[in-house]
Amino acid sequence: METDWPKVLEVFGSGIIGVFLVMILLQLLTQLSTRVIDIIENRNKGEDAEPGA
Amino acid sequence: MFNILKELIYSSGVVSLTGGNLVMWLVAFVLLYLAIKKQYEPLLLLPIAFGILVVNLPLTFLMEPEHGLIWFFYHYGIEQDIIPPLIFLGLGAMIDFGPLIANPKTLLLGAGAQAGLYVTFFAAILFGFDLQEAGSIAIIGGADGPTTIYLTSKLAPHLLGATAVSAYAYMALVPIIQPPMMKLLTTDRERKIVMTKLRPVSKLQKICFPIVTGMTIMLVVPPAAPLISMLMLGNLFKESGVVERLTNAASNELMNIVTIFLGLSIGATMTATTFLNPKVLFIFFLGLFAFVISTAAGLLMAKFMNLFLKDKDKINPLIGAAGVSAVPMAARCVHKVGSEANRRNYLLMYAMGPNVAGVIGTVVAAAILLKNLG
Repeated sequence: METDWPKVLEVFGSGIIGVFLVMILLQLLTQLSTRVIDIIENRNKGEDAEPGA
Repeated sequence: MFNILKELIYSSGVVSLTGGNLVMWLVAFVLLYLAIKKQYEPLLLLPIAFGILVVNLPLTFLMEPEHGLIWFFYHYGIEQDIIPPLIFLGLGAMIDFGPLIANPKTLLLGAGAQAGLYVTFFAAILFGFDLQEAGSIAIIGGADGPTTIYLTSKLAPHLLGATAVSAYAYMALVPIIQPPMMKLLTTDRERKIVMTKLRPVSKLQKICFPIVTGMTIMLVVPPAAPLISMLMLGNLFKESGVVERLTNAASNELMNIVTIFLGLSIGATMTATTFLNPKVLFIFFLGLFAFVISTAAGLLMAKFMNLFLKDKDKINPLIGAAGVSAVPMAARCVHKVGSEANRRNYLLMYAMGPNVAGVIGTVVAAAILLKNLG
């Protein structure tokens, strides 16, 4: 059976690039969401501390 | 009397035994030995071995379509994609994404380790496998059993037994396969790197992670949905802290039940006619190749990232080897090799980041293969 080399190269290239793009996107979203949550939680802590201060 | 005896013998499976059946019994006994005596992945290898044994007993028809008992387990559990996602539900309920959230750049190590998978895809084509078969073999490099089974059942179901056994066998052999690669590709100085303490991760961050990550992956690569949705649901059960019963059910009872059916069904696909084939030897060889290259790719990715990091933020490149899934064996292996180089180096938590990133990376890689080849 003849190997479809253009398809092989397409799967190879799109696979490697695709996995990296998705993981970079996840990294950025994780960093962004944790930073936003940090800010919210720090602000809430500040508000909780204020009445007793 | 003689006629009755003759009839009994001829209606038994004994006269239908073939040399192939006997060889498969031997394979089953070797796997039983590895599972019971050596305790290599016994939860999977034991039911797989028993499945091989019973399906190679003539005239039992356990895998007879529409009739055989194990065929129903196989058909509804694997062909209909029920069991691998349920395993992921249990896995999600056990996984702690905390180290990954604390150090998100380790997601790149999970991606780096998948490069080996695509190199193997290329190699499998050169060995004469077709595109779908090559995709199923390549995924072994991800060292993730359920993903391997999920993808192979879609792309090349006739290779299911060989790829599944290969994936689980190499996962069990992590402590033997990975350390030489780690030592070969890192210097003593690199292995001694002590990483900065991980930042604390709040409960809200742990709750948001499965939701944000799950939605993102399913939007970008929809074929990943069956596995990733269940993984993230299981994790949300755990991190929410409000459904302890569901978390326990998913990670214990459900996980154990589906593991029985998974192992038995996979073993039962390994009849003499499908397994005793020169291709199977190549699959085992390419599976090992995939695993070694994925380990190397993870290590090299970590070294590459260090080129861009400040001295205080440098990562110990050993944790790159945990970018293959094999949770938590690969992380434990990293910790062991790291502590041999520096007894005060405690790498386990740092390695869990790329280890769970490897699970996500393998599912994404499988989904992309499925999209391109399915």
